[in-house]
Amino acid sequence: MNTSSHAARPWRAGGLRKAVPALLLIIAALAGPFLAEHPVDAPITMPYAPPEDGAPLGGDQLGRDVLSRLLSGGTALITSALAVALIITAGAIWLGCLAALSPAARRVVERGADIAILLPPVLGVMLIGMTWPGGGRLAVAAAAVTLGLPYATRVVAGAALPLTTTGYIETALASGERLSYVAARELVPNLRSTLIALFGLRFVEAIYIISMAGFLQIGPQPPAADWALMIRENSGGILLNPWAVLAPSLAIAILAISVNLASEALSRKPVATGIARPGSRE
Amino acid sequence: MRTADEPTAEPRLPAPEASRRARWSATSAGAAIRDVARLLIVRVSLLVTLLAIVFAAVELLPGDAATATAERGESAAGLAARRHLLGLDQPLWTRFATWMTALPSGNLGVSARGRPVTEVLADPFPNTLVLALSALVLTVLASLALGCWAAARPGGLTDRVIGHLATSAFALPEYIVAIALVLPLALWTGLLPAVTVTDATGAPGSWTMLVMPVLALTIPQTGWNTRIVRGALADQAALPHVEAAGLDGLPAHVVVLRHALPGAVPTIAAGIATSAGMLFGGAVVVETLFNYPGVGTLLAGAVSDRDTPLVAGVAVCAGAAITIVLLASDVIRDVVVGGRR
Repeated sequence: MNTSSHAARPWRAGGLRKAVPALLLIIAALAGPFLAEHPVDAPITMPYAPPEDGAPLGGDQLGRDVLSRLLSGGTALITSALAVALIITAGAIWLGCLAALSPAARRVVERGADIAILLPPVLGVMLIGMTWPGGGRLAVAAAAVTLGLPYATRVVAGAALPLTTTGYIETALASGERLSYVAARELVPNLRSTLIALFGLRFVEAIYIISMAGFLQIGPQPPAADWALMIRENSGGILLNPWAVLAPSLAIAILAISVNLASEALSRKPVATGIARPGSRE
Repeated sequence: MRTADEPTAEPRLPAPEASRRARWSATSAGAAIRDVARLLIVRVSLLVTLLAIVFAAVELLPGDAATATAERGESAAGLAARRHLLGLDQPLWTRFATWMTALPSGNLGVSARGRPVTEVLADPFPNTLVLALSALVLTVLASLALGCWAAARPGGLTDRVIGHLATSAFALPEYIVAIALVLPLALWTGLLPAVTVTDATGAPGSWTMLVMPVLALTIPQTGWNTRIVRGALADQAALPHVEAAGLDGLPAHVVVLRHALPGAVPTIAAGIATSAGMLFGGAVVVETLFNYPGVGTLLAGAVSDRDTPLVAGVAVCAGAAITIVLLASDVIRDVVVGGRR
């Protein structure tokens, strides 16, 4: 069943090149903590000190080195966003293929996505974060998975459905192959570009939800170094040392934009016409 | 809800919009009412299911509002008294019934601070709705304008620039956009107020205080919806009647506005309606930055208080507001698609 090879070519040439900035940024953020010059929780300057020798981006509200905190503040955000995107994509593949092969499951998936749209992500994160005291990052990640899964499943089911009436799937089903085998060997390889786009969008969405939770002080707690938390903590001194707010803001913005552009380039089809339908950000 | 790529499967009738509407209203007013009733029932039952899920989530997860707001070392008797105040000592089914009738009865329970949730939300919730609805209107206008402008010359420079800007914009969290706006527009130049000051009624003192919060919400959602408008117009451009209009030598803007756009309306309406939740959620976050007197500022306090009843109450009200927007989009789709049957 070599139907996937023709689909693989078009995105390989230009797509991979556009994914480079996102990859470099993720590697830099993961390596960041080892490059930090100063401890993230000890003051070395005056509060909100402007950039000076030894602290190129100045100090934060407690006089801690902004650059060191910037280097350390993305690791947890990126790893948890990656984990959330992976879990959602894997879950959506499993549930989505099941739904594509069974009409009853499909109705549940449709309705599940309709219900998830009614709950703004912030409120969902708040509810789960608050009713799970001490959950911290785990609670936020659980909330992000719960809120993102219904729609992602619908996207996979929608993309897989037309394939289920193709001859080779019908042949495989008629010859008595198990559903999980058909899903893994016949459906998934042909959904590659949908799944890449889905993973990319889920990654951006996870960054959005997790950083927003950090900004609302639901996930990471002080004195942890976290980009979103840095923005919230230092917004009071934005005029004294703008870099304490600007640097983490730019980090989140560049991360989200580069991942978004990369996922768009890697998935062949333009995002708005087929893969990511309205509301895939709930 | 139907999916956005549905219009490609719709009957391809190039009937002018006007005669379509006339036929629709003349022949099937009764059917229209039935359709709207059906949509209403579907949307309301989805909202009811959401309420049940929120109740279950709050119920099943460890910790309740009483322990969450308890001070360290509070006695068991104090906890029991608080449980009684919050109604947590009632049997599960009683609480479930109370919760499910919360919206029609207007009784959303008691916040962890002991005030009725309805009373706490009475002033801030309308303020947040004003913010989110202004952003929704602006998003509709901006994304329609940008999407049509991009579609006028497919693959051209404008199309590509708008496409990339839209992709970049929808990746940005609203609070980052807010910071990007507040530095140049308020703190460095003083053009707009950075902090919202309320008047005696608890509403923002001046419309200028709404500008930056609304823009911060509109920019990411415009990015998202511009892509939907552009995609829907691209699907329409491939249809025979639109292609024919272009081949007949009609100007590009006439082809887009008169021939492609009407058929794209159902997709666009569905896309923009799903932004309602994002806008409401974004408003909650952006409000805390601008100190805007809405539910966001209230919820920021609720997080440190662990005020679950308040957050659940806001989720109910938000769910109801979003349901109304989705229903409006359903009706728009029904009118446009129904006219073609």
